[in-house]
Amino acid sequence: MIAVTMWYEAFSLVPAYMDIANSRWLWLATVPVVSVVLLQAAIFLRRAWQDGKEMGLSDEQLRSGFKTGFISAIGPAFAVLAGMLALIATVGGPVAWMRLSVIGSVAFELPAAEIGVSQFGYSLGDGDITREAYTTAVWTMTLGGTGWLLVSALGTPHMESARRKIANGKDDLIPVVSSAAMLGAFAYFLSGEIPAGTPETGSVAAGGLVMLVVLHIADKRDAQWVREWALGTAMVVGLLVGVAIQVTVGSWW
Amino acid sequence: MGDSTSESDGDGTVATDGGSVYEERFIPYINTWGRRTNLLAVALSLGPAVVLLSVFGILPPTQAIIGAFVSVAGAFGIFWIVEPISYYPVLGVPGTYMAFLSGNISNLRLPCAAAAQESADVETGTPEASIISTIAIGASIIVNTTLLGIGAVALVSAFQALPELWRSALESYLVPAVFGAIFAQFGRDYPKVAAIGFSIGLAMTLSLELGLLAFLPGFPLYAVIVVSVFGTILAARWMWEQGLIESPTRMDD
Repeated sequence: MIAVTMWYEAFSLVPAYMDIANSRWLWLATVPVVSVVLLQAAIFLRRAWQDGKEMGLSDEQLRSGFKTGFISAIGPAFAVLAGMLALIATVGGPVAWMRLSVIGSVAFELPAAEIGVSQFGYSLGDGDITREAYTTAVWTMTLGGTGWLLVSALGTPHMESARRKIANGKDDLIPVVSSAAMLGAFAYFLSGEIPAGTPETGSVAAGGLVMLVVLHIADKRDAQWVREWALGTAMVVGLLVGVAIQVTVGSWW
Repeated sequence: MGDSTSESDGDGTVATDGGSVYEERFIPYINTWGRRTNLLAVALSLGPAVVLLSVFGILPPTQAIIGAFVSVAGAFGIFWIVEPISYYPVLGVPGTYMAFLSGNISNLRLPCAAAAQESADVETGTPEASIISTIAIGASIIVNTTLLGIGAVALVSAFQALPELWRSALESYLVPAVFGAIFAQFGRDYPKVAAIGFSIGLAMTLSLELGLLAFLPGFPLYAVIVVSVFGTILAARWMWEQGLIESPTRMDD
């Protein structure tokens, strides 16, 4: 994130390739692939809704799933938007939008773009990056991102058998294994935040505590709407706690 | 709907057996369309690179593209395999196609899917949970594609007008709060697994920071992910076999 703020400062320098990078042609070029993402979401949503009903899920459950997904996405999407500014400053609006709507995350796209321009001895933020170096960055992000797409397109049907093997055919074990996978993945994500500083650690802890409290209240009152706002509330409180720690004690490490 | 006739002529066995609708109809449909759309996206993601070549006549030297690709593959190639396999138990079949097509998995897709499973009250790892995840991820895709689209065009200047403190706060503290919250949500059901997962994740992250993993090839972040996810799964499985934990299935009897 330090690197990201550094790139902001470089925003004032407008390199020569930016006229191309923000051109109408590039906007046009990004529309088809973003449409595929929306198309897939629509196809899957429709089918899941139909088959979910047939499987005995109530309208209320389905609607609650949609609503929670929608609400919970707003906060993180704003965070992605914040990160996108660094990409807009370096690769232009259309490519930034495409890379973060399809496949990518700021954590991959920025280093990939940097690797691209570094082939010509530049570093992102340099004012004299050539069009050729910029184009190399675009190719690098594109080709680098296809790895995930190909593995998911061709490998997904085989993943269920791998999972069954881990569960050893015991059906009761599947929820345990799935929850353990989630806990392991998020333990990895959040332990990456702890070395980043005291404010980050504080917002991890605050997010966790608020979630526990809100879900406890939701259970006690049996209030569905409280559950839908749980993640949103935890995010906002975690953000505020992070800011509060930053402006009061700063970071101890 | 031609397929709805099959249940009216039976005695309701098809309609009540959620597992068979899921396994025999939903999943094959998703596999077909997931593969098609993700492969189509591979092709269309070349759009900007093709426009830079055909409209502006810029093609970087092959050498530069290969050099950049090798560097990206070296740094990120392991994640092409590790991430889909690690996140699959959480995302399920449809979620894997959608999440790797739309990106932003840890900060957006996984939290939305998890929060929706909680609010729709379905058991993680079951077909019903997979349906709810699909719906929630679909909703999150609509939100973030739209928001980023508006953002890339219009909101950039508004965001830059925010005071530096809040700009960096949005970037730095929102995501840690999400990580803490989702971890806590799953930790409620399995506190012992959460404690072990957290210990593994933190130990691996600190080992990485302290250079204890330097004996592994490349930048060994991949080892942190694999050990955190699969270490927690194996620990949970062992604890379950020993009777130390049980699945919180709503045993009404």
